[in-house]
Amino acid sequence: MRGRRCALVIALLLPFTVFADEIQAPQSRLSELLSSDSDAGFAKAIEPRAFVFPEDHGPHPQFRNEWWYITGNLDGEDGRRFGFELTIFRFALTPSLPAAESNWRSNQVYIAHFAVTDAGRERFYAAERYSRGALGLAGASAEPFRVWIDDWEIAAVAEGQPERWGLRAADPGFALDIALIAAKTPALNGIDGLSQKSAEPGNASYYYSITRWETEGSLRIGDDAFRVSGLSWLDREWSSSALAADQLGWDWFALQLSDGSELMFYNLRKLDGSQDEHSAGTWISADGSSTHIDREDIEIEVTDTWDSPEGGQYPSAWTLELPDRGLSLEVRPVMADQELFTTVRYWEGAVDVRGERHGAPIEGRGYVELTGYAD
Amino acid sequence: MIPATLRANFSYLLRHPLQLALALLGIGIGVAVIVAVDLANSSARKAFLLSMDAVTGEATHQVIGGARGIEEVDYVRLRTVEGIRTIAPIVEDTVSVNETSFTLIGVDLFAEQEMRTFTGEARTTGGDDAAGESLFRDFLTRPGAVTMAWSTADEFGLQVGEDFEISASGRSYSATLIGTFGDEDDSGLQNLLVADIATAQVWLDSIGRLTRIDARIPHGDDAAFARLEAALPDGLRVLSAAGRTRTTAEMSAAFMTNLAAMSLLALLVGVFLIYNSVSFSVLQRRSLIGNLRALGVTRGRMLSLILVEAAVVGSVASILGVATGILLGDRLLVLVSQSINDLYFRLNVTDVMVSPFSVAKGLAAGIGASLAAAAVPAIEAMSFPPKLAMTRSSLERRTGRLLPRVAVAGMLAMLAAVTLLILSGRNLVAGLIAVFLLILGFALCVPLAVRAASAVLAPLASRIGGMLARMAVSGIGESLSRTGVAIVALAVAVSATIGVSVMVDSFRGSVDDWLQQTLQADVYAGVQRGSLDPGLLDAITALRGIEAFSTSRRVQLEDAGGRTQLIAIKMAPGSYAGTEIIDADPGDVWPAWEREDLVLVSEPYAYQNEVSRGGIVQLPTDQGLRAFEIAATYQSYDINASAMLMSRNVYERHFDDDGVDSVGLYLAGDADPEAIMARIGEISEGRQEIRFNSNARIRELSLEIFDRTFIITDVLYWLAVGVAFIGILGAMLALQLERGRELAVLRALGMTPSQLGGLITTQTAVIGLLSGIAAVPLGIVMAWVLIEVINRRAFGWQIDMSVAPAILLSAIAFAIGAALLAGIYPAFRAARSQPAAAMREE
Repeated sequence: MRGRRCALVIALLLPFTVFADEIQAPQSRLSELLSSDSDAGFAKAIEPRAFVFPEDHGPHPQFRNEWWYITGNLDGEDGRRFGFELTIFRFALTPSLPAAESNWRSNQVYIAHFAVTDAGRERFYAAERYSRGALGLAGASAEPFRVWIDDWEIAAVAEGQPERWGLRAADPGFALDIALIAAKTPALNGIDGLSQKSAEPGNASYYYSITRWETEGSLRIGDDAFRVSGLSWLDREWSSSALAADQLGWDWFALQLSDGSELMFYNLRKLDGSQDEHSAGTWISADGSSTHIDREDIEIEVTDTWDSPEGGQYPSAWTLELPDRGLSLEVRPVMADQELFTTVRYWEGAVDVRGERHGAPIEGRGYVELTGYAD
Repeated sequence: MIPATLRANFSYLLRHPLQLALALLGIGIGVAVIVAVDLANSSARKAFLLSMDAVTGEATHQVIGGARGIEEVDYVRLRTVEGIRTIAPIVEDTVSVNETSFTLIGVDLFAEQEMRTFTGEARTTGGDDAAGESLFRDFLTRPGAVTMAWSTADEFGLQVGEDFEISASGRSYSATLIGTFGDEDDSGLQNLLVADIATAQVWLDSIGRLTRIDARIPHGDDAAFARLEAALPDGLRVLSAAGRTRTTAEMSAAFMTNLAAMSLLALLVGVFLIYNSVSFSVLQRRSLIGNLRALGVTRGRMLSLILVEAAVVGSVASILGVATGILLGDRLLVLVSQSINDLYFRLNVTDVMVSPFSVAKGLAAGIGASLAAAAVPAIEAMSFPPKLAMTRSSLERRTGRLLPRVAVAGMLAMLAAVTLLILSGRNLVAGLIAVFLLILGFALCVPLAVRAASAVLAPLASRIGGMLARMAVSGIGESLSRTGVAIVALAVAVSATIGVSVMVDSFRGSVDDWLQQTLQADVYAGVQRGSLDPGLLDAITALRGIEAFSTSRRVQLEDAGGRTQLIAIKMAPGSYAGTEIIDADPGDVWPAWEREDLVLVSEPYAYQNEVSRGGIVQLPTDQGLRAFEIAATYQSYDINASAMLMSRNVYERHFDDDGVDSVGLYLAGDADPEAIMARIGEISEGRQEIRFNSNARIRELSLEIFDRTFIITDVLYWLAVGVAFIGILGAMLALQLERGRELAVLRALGMTPSQLGGLITTQTAVIGLLSGIAAVPLGIVMAWVLIEVINRRAFGWQIDMSVAPAILLSAIAFAIGAALLAGIYPAFRAARSQPAAAMREE
């Protein structure tokens, strides 16, 4: 999913570098950053590469940015419906760093977003953390796999395949502690994992997903603790480039269907309102095999909108048509307000899916991310 | 329409511009001194608190550790294992840029948002996004990148992007100003350098360590506090940030109290002067008052007229005085900051902060004293029948009758002072109040003493200088209603000079003796901050010609009870003699001190903490709180006097610290200290900036600092003396003006102008002499109180009092000189007056 969170990462950094004099429109701010040569010296995603696991679960510090992104839909024992997101971003400030005496010296920055949707009570919780990748305050390692900020972490609890990971994150108001077992092998997005962003070579990322994890554990909201279980989704991407100047934002869909298949699609929106030609996705069938989805293969229509109380209007219901697959889906958020007021404002929330496949009813759950609607 | 009576009053003043000017000057200077001292004091304090607040930011608590701070892994554990988030690591110390002190704070920007805004708010000149992004990147990844307040960069002429040298831990580093923060209002942020914690650790020689951890705990959230406290390993403590600020501020509290005492003295002298100036202008007009009363103006009306006039004159003069005081305060502040910087903590004050309170105090003193000064003689004038009020002799008779009563009041005040001294125990403020009661009481006795003296001296004077001298001397006793206040003011000012001079002189003597004893080694070498490079230490102590060496390490131990300065010493055989043990046999103390968990406490420490030999002190060691027995008390006039000595062996058992600040070198008989120092210079070159000096030079330097500390004292006393001088000038001038007719008669009787001038000069000289003599006993008593009460209560120092006769003689000479100088113009004026015109005036 090209460029998506890369832009987010850059934007996240901006508050540290307050421009007291003039605050500019976000897109021009991005364009300035992206038109600069700030990726000089970093490794670039030019050709397809061989993905090796578990090594590639770990960090790729020669690239400028990278993320570990887990979302999931969970049910309490009493049937109460929850969703969660834990994303850890890594961002390299410079391609390399001379040896330093102090352990604090680092060019690696980590940022994390943690959100929980309590659909049963119509409540949404979000928290953010940031840290330098030094001293064990935050970091990532491949073997054993672990990525963390402070006491938030995603880490392997056992070696080998399938992946067995644990996820722990706690904020004073809400907390999550779950075990995840991969139900599928990594699916490579784009062309063999190379997700091309534009015609220019190197303007691409390496991108894979593990689209189905059996998940169970505990969730705490306030003083209430819940046993929860459900399905999760992992997105992994690293690159040294970012969104194009003419792109405004994106709508990202990660849908897990009841027949064991998954659909990922990102719809890049241009400033002029049109769809960017590099919008793309992946179809993962129940047996784990994956197929690239081109923008021509899918038709997306917004059927409802939601006005944020803080201003801005988000789409809040869609129909997705994939005629080649005989698939017709309606996607609707489990609750309207799943907007994050972290350093960057965006919408990321649990959704329900209903529809037909070759005439037979199908349903599912998933996560949708919407950016560029309310800046 | 201004009533004729009021016009009569004011037109009198306007017809006597010199007198008006003197009254204005007198009140103005009095107010100026009060305001200046008050502003300098309060500005210094406010600047300190502001900068502490700015640096503390939102932090409510601070976690501190032992001698070398906190290990950084403890911080990481708090965040990653304990999940405590509202904490931020700090590496902080003083560094210097071009000889100017800066506070360097090394921060972790990612934790800063919980604590401070300015650390992450730097901007470059461009202000565009690319510049902003690179600013952030540079701050984190570029060694030596710093930000500072915009105003500080401006003051030092530094541009964003510019490199400059900083000196830290005795080493020199290259820094780059990558951005500035703050805007016009960046109070408290001056002379502050902000760097990434990685840069600060390198510069401050504290790799792996933090100075402290700032914590933000919501008010009243006891659970969060308990959680943090429980999560801390042994040797770390959490203290309230406000409490730590207070502890730091308290270090200078005694110094500030002394300054406040001086401002009280200035106030006292200032009020004398105001009283003097105003009461004269009323007394001058006794005949006018008498005439107006005879014309039917009621007493009440007359009184209100005089008070209105006093209020107007007092207000005008006070406003001028406040303005002058603000200017003067600016100069004083430089001296105050200098002293605080020398003695206590970094204080950077650029401007006087004008507080309404200080201004109000000055105005109230000026106007209030003017009204009181006018009311007393006015009420007195009203109480006479109109005709009688017009005669001067009646006033003098009344004044004469009043003197014994005033003197009795004075004695009572002095008695109260003594009682207060005895009863107030250790209270410093009570001690100061007693000093002022003493001065006041003494002042009230002076007029009676002067009258008696002039009566005794008059026959003597006539034998020496004939009739004229007799006239001059007895004239003083007969004009006390006019000269009394001036004499008192001069006597008080001069006695203050004596008191302070004797105190400072005695203090200096004691310090000098102590320095001679303490500085046993031939050469001392050390670093001002941080610790000596271990390799360098070995190289220095291995130099040929060095027979033995001692090392010392000075650390601040802090817990909720406050701060303790601990000095860990590895003694050389010759070192023991440098510490004078007061209350035990050194032969018993030293061997035990080297082995056991014992400490020696300095005399001030013992006084301030009310402990003595055999007592127990609890010290926060790196293994937690431990008890140490006090083996003995030792004498010390160290600037940070409240300290304790521990042997290096014991220190290393309890503290994880192998650092050494300074080393004392004992040379072989034939070794040349200069040659050794030259070698130290050579081997430390390029490694670490070492301060090294011979013991003689250190003694000199210490005394220089001592002297500089008392410059502020000197300046204040000269101001008080200046006020007194104006008082004398005013009194003499008024006296001569009033006696115009009498002097004219003397001229008409054949006295030459020079004889007349001589008469007046003699009179002023005698006034000076009497003031000077009166000042001596008060001065000595004041010195005694300052040494035995004020210094002891403020600092815990035991000083041997010694009175140098030269101080007393020069004080008397000064009093005479000041009086003579003040008499020149009145004498000249009287001599030049035309007797015929003067006699015709009535």
